[in-house]
Amino acid sequence: MQVSRRKFSLGCGALTLSFLVQSEFKLLTPENAKAQNIPFQNLTQDQALLIDILGDAIVPGANAAGLSHFIDHQLSANDKDNLLILRYLRVNPPFNDFYLSALTACETAIEKRYNKKITDLSEAELSEFIPLIMQNNPEGWLNAPPAAFFYFVLRSDAIDVTYGTRAGFDTLDIPYMAHIEPPRNLGIKS
Amino acid sequence: MKPSHEKVDILIIGSGAAGSLMAAKLSKTGKNVILLEAGPERGLNDLVSSQIQARRLKWSGDPVEETGSQPIGNVFNSGYGTGGSALHHYAVWPRLHEEDFKVKTLYGRALDWPINYDDLRPYYDKIQEEVGISGDHTTEVWRPKGMPYPLPPVPAFQQSEVIAQGFRKLGKTISPLPLALNSRDYNGRPGCLWDGWCDAGCPTKALANPLARYLPEAIKQGCKIIHHATVTRILTDKSGKKAIGALYHNKDGMKITQRASMVILAANAIQNPTLLLNSAEGGLANSSGLLGSYIMNHAAALVYGLFTPETEPYMGATGGQMLNQDSYDNKDKRKAGFGSYQWMIAQAIKPNDLLGFGGSNPGLYGKKLTEFMTDAAQHFGTMTGCVEDLPLEENRVTLSTNKNKYGMASAKVHHTSHKDSYALWQGAKQEGLEIFKAAEARQAWNGPLGPMHIMGGTVMGDRAKNSITNSYGQCHDIDNLFIAGAGLFPTSGGVNPTFTVHAVTLRSADYITQNWSSIT
Ligand SMILES: Cc1cc2nc3c(=O)[nH]c(=O)nc-3n(C[C@H](O)[C@H](O)[C@H](O)COP(=O)(O)OP(=O)(O)OC[C@H]3O[C@@H](n4cnc5c(N)ncnc54)[C@H](O)[C@@H]3O)c2cc1C
Ligand code: SF4
Repeated sequence: MQVSRRKFSLGCGALTLSFLVQSEFKLLTPENAKAQNIPFQNLTQDQALLIDILGDAIVPGANAAGLSHFIDHQLSANDKDNLLILRYLRVNPPFNDFYLSALTACETAIEKRYNKKITDLSEAELSEFIPLIMQNNPEGWLNAPPAAFFYFVLRSDAIDVTYGTRAGFDTLDIPYMAHIEPPRNLGIKS
Repeated sequence: MKPSHEKVDILIIGSGAAGSLMAAKLSKTGKNVILLEAGPERGLNDLVSSQIQARRLKWSGDPVEETGSQPIGNVFNSGYGTGGSALHHYAVWPRLHEEDFKVKTLYGRALDWPINYDDLRPYYDKIQEEVGISGDHTTEVWRPKGMPYPLPPVPAFQQSEVIAQGFRKLGKTISPLPLALNSRDYNGRPGCLWDGWCDAGCPTKALANPLARYLPEAIKQGCKIIHHATVTRILTDKSGKKAIGALYHNKDGMKITQRASMVILAANAIQNPTLLLNSAEGGLANSSGLLGSYIMNHAAALVYGLFTPETEPYMGATGGQMLNQDSYDNKDKRKAGFGSYQWMIAQAIKPNDLLGFGGSNPGLYGKKLTEFMTDAAQHFGTMTGCVEDLPLEENRVTLSTNKNKYGMASAKVHHTSHKDSYALWQGAKQEGLEIFKAAEARQAWNGPLGPMHIMGGTVMGDRAKNSITNSYGQCHDIDNLFIAGAGLFPTSGGVNPTFTVHAVTLRSADYITQNWSSIT
């Protein structure tokens, strides 16, 4: 599969991202984007893995819901249409610096403490690491927003993709009752 | 040469709550009215039911720098584009109380309004008839004098029934929450469906946002609205005592002069002073030196709980279902701090977003979070205290060293709560937990201080020495320059501001109509 470019367009009043896949644009949910292995535009493969593993440990289900594809997609969104929770939290767009510096700090902190990459952490190690970042900057967490703030932001993004959609409401057995149905794909087109 | 448009009678800046009401009332008198809106055009079809998509309605003009211990949360608390913040506001519309207008006289602190409740009362009554508020004046025992609500109260779903028991056990009173949304069809607008999507903007017109109520009226009467029109300066004649129009930049960045016989600034409590500070050395209409001062923010006292019975927390309106104002009058009689607060009880809640139940307990993660989400979806309860913020001169808008692409300095806003307002918020939080415990919550906890509703910054008063405008929003220094919106409030009270914004704006519109020739 070759992705040569993507663009933003407005459909049904909602921001949509389109990937050109084999010269055709298709709509994708974040989980479909993940399943189809759509290449990232802003994140490296390692950063995306970190988001998915840590995000899923905080909010189970976030990985399958396509958390890293959602964040990657939104890092390309224009400031006015950005859907990341960060815009509420007194951080001005663009948000790349925030995520990229926090992810680097997180990678370094994990390596310092466990001498491993996040992919090699055991469940027990991961559950030990999360409360650490909730409180303080662990050793190696440098040149980045405070770890506790990053935890809050990643947790909120993960709750958005996991529970903030019709599929997420269904999991919780809550009626969605939309007046105007949002795009199922959270705006991601492929 | 800069392009310029034909002179109009009235130029209004900002299409939110105040701007759209002004436009409707003044265009009705046959005046030629133009409305400039910095943000994009939005229609009812853009109001997609999703807490994630709703973020597109938020402020995305120049970034506002925030300092102080309790920053104002500008992006969450402001809108951008057609209808402004009011497009996705929650329509909780109680009145201010008599005391709120005379805090200085009664208690020797804060400020007085240059008017009394009785001056506003007929305007509250008229607006509620035009807009359609649902409520019950007989059970709302704290309500100051006024006509009964035109619509029956909103229904109480399980969540409010469960929480109400706590209030009753502690001998407190509760009443349906007055909401500017239709409990049944009213004046051609449909009844509410109780689905809790108000924060994403109500597209059915059940809720009285500007697109549902006053903007269509203004446009029908000939008012022209231009979007993507960012005003960067108010223009005056050489004397500096008469406004002659405004400069704005359109979507393509072109600088345009719009001349007018009268200018009305309705660009929200932060952007109004920012524009005036950018319009003259030392600020336009600033002989008092107080331009930008007395910025206020209600402190939200957030109370959350899990209950044993099912609460249907997804049912109802985002604003809530019930009201308690036992801690409102006699501002000096609180257990802690000074001022007034009210409880807005049983907000319809979604799983995600800042106000969603998923965010209510950020310490939970992993399996415990999954269990909590499943439990909360059926058993969650919440209420919010709207806590008065005393006005402080040092809580103010000044200009940042950052400039936008048009050379206009952006806003810097400092806000630290008065120590007595902070103590009041702490006392309210504590009381909230006691009420939830009395309601037999299995667990009850508080959220952090959430800022809501931005007020002040261009306060009204009786003299040019202590305020920016008179009681009509007319600038003391410039007769044909008016300000509208919550920025005029000298005190915040402990109620949501938008009903009062409407009443004050309607009073100003009447004054402008009656005194047009002498003002211009
Ligand atoms: C999430 C939320 C919930 C709320 N819920 C309630 C509630 O339940 N009850 C209640 O009473 N209040 C509520 N409010 C507050 C309410 O929305 C405001 O009090 C009200 O909208 C203020 O009206 P305004 O006309 O002063 O400003 P706004 O409605 O904000 O309108 C100002 C407009 O001016 C435009 N503007 C700004 N700068 C410029 C410029 N330079 N040039 C041109 N245009 C410009 C903006 O884009 C905006 O459209 C809520 C607000 C929010 C954000
Ligand atoms: S709950 Fe009622 S007022 Fe709110 S969006 Fe739905 S229909 Fe509109």
